[in-house]
Amino acid sequence: MSLERKDEHDHKGWMQERDLTPVESIYLTVLMWLDKRLRIVDYLEILENLYYKVNMQMPKSHTEQYNLDNKFWYWYPLYALGSFSTIAYVVAAVSGALLGFYYSPAAAGASGSPTVAYEQITFIMTDLNLGFFLRSLHRWSAQVMVAAVFLHMLRVYFTGAYKEPRELNWIIGIVLISLTMVFGYTGYLLPWDQLAFWAGQIGVEMALSVPVAGEWAAQLVFGGFTLTQSTLQRMYILHVFFLPFIATTVIAIHIGIVWMQGIAEPH
Amino acid sequence: MSEDPDSDAAGGGRDIAVPMELYKSITVFSTLFAVVFVLLAFVMFDAATLDRSFVRGLVQDAFGAVGLGVGGQPLTIAFALVGFAFLTTGSGIYIVGSRFRAEEMGNAKNEADET
Repeated sequence: MSLERKDEHDHKGWMQERDLTPVESIYLTVLMWLDKRLRIVDYLEILENLYYKVNMQMPKSHTEQYNLDNKFWYWYPLYALGSFSTIAYVVAAVSGALLGFYYSPAAAGASGSPTVAYEQITFIMTDLNLGFFLRSLHRWSAQVMVAAVFLHMLRVYFTGAYKEPRELNWIIGIVLISLTMVFGYTGYLLPWDQLAFWAGQIGVEMALSVPVAGEWAAQLVFGGFTLTQSTLQRMYILHVFFLPFIATTVIAIHIGIVWMQGIAEPH
Repeated sequence: MSEDPDSDAAGGGRDIAVPMELYKSITVFSTLFAVVFVLLAFVMFDAATLDRSFVRGLVQDAFGAVGLGVGGQPLTIAFALVGFAFLTTGSGIYIVGSRFRAEEMGNAKNEADET
């Protein structure tokens, strides 16, 4: 993009007409010298112009068309929660992939010493450069994702955005919030410390309490009725292999449908 | 000076009407320089007070490279003084910039050519 020169204003002549102190005339001369060479003002004006032109061409949203913005503006931050969950998911994916270079899901350990999994967590937290930061980032993005997904669901519910023709996407959203929680649970078990172990025990017992299919489900998900190496192994593969593929696909479909249908605007 | 329409003693400070184009360059460049100088001042304060400061290490290494061992105390004082100088410069640029206004802006009643 090239800039056309504007008609030159006679700065020098103008400055001589005025009664300026030496400081003021030096100040103005320096700034004019810079302005002539760097032309930041011209580029800012192009941006300003572009901003208004783009805004003129945008179709009016429902709320603009019926002048409802003054009543609905306080809802708008809540319309960012879906994006917020997606961003948290991406951050968790990237930080998790990096953590994967250092973690190993082994419940074995010499008698009386911690398990390999727990020792790797200790290594990440105390010895690895930026390890504390990386694990904290992973943990916090996971927390944020669960919270944002839940609040996103509340927003969709209370604005009635689940209604026809968006029922299908609401169902997919329920699948997604479940996947998010399974993600959280499997990740919670990976440090294989006391917290993880007894959370796993609760999981096994919850599975076993289910009539008819309970024992089968406990075998499938936890690899037995007590917590062993196979429990940790299954949690690990669920967390880093199964769920990432499934969740990413379902998120893509979820967002794709929103894209096709447009967001449900408040009425 | 009080007869000059450009200066406005009643408002407390000088007030100079300039063409809009010039006003824009003054605003953009003076704000830019004020921000950069204040940021540099903070960098200098960091260098003065923080042992792990990047700038401090750089300067110490530079002196060491030419065979001049500089003590911590003189370096701290020098950094602090430079920091204050930057801070004053930044504020000064902003303050001088604030006395200019575009011809269309401000109090029309004080302008002789508009009454």
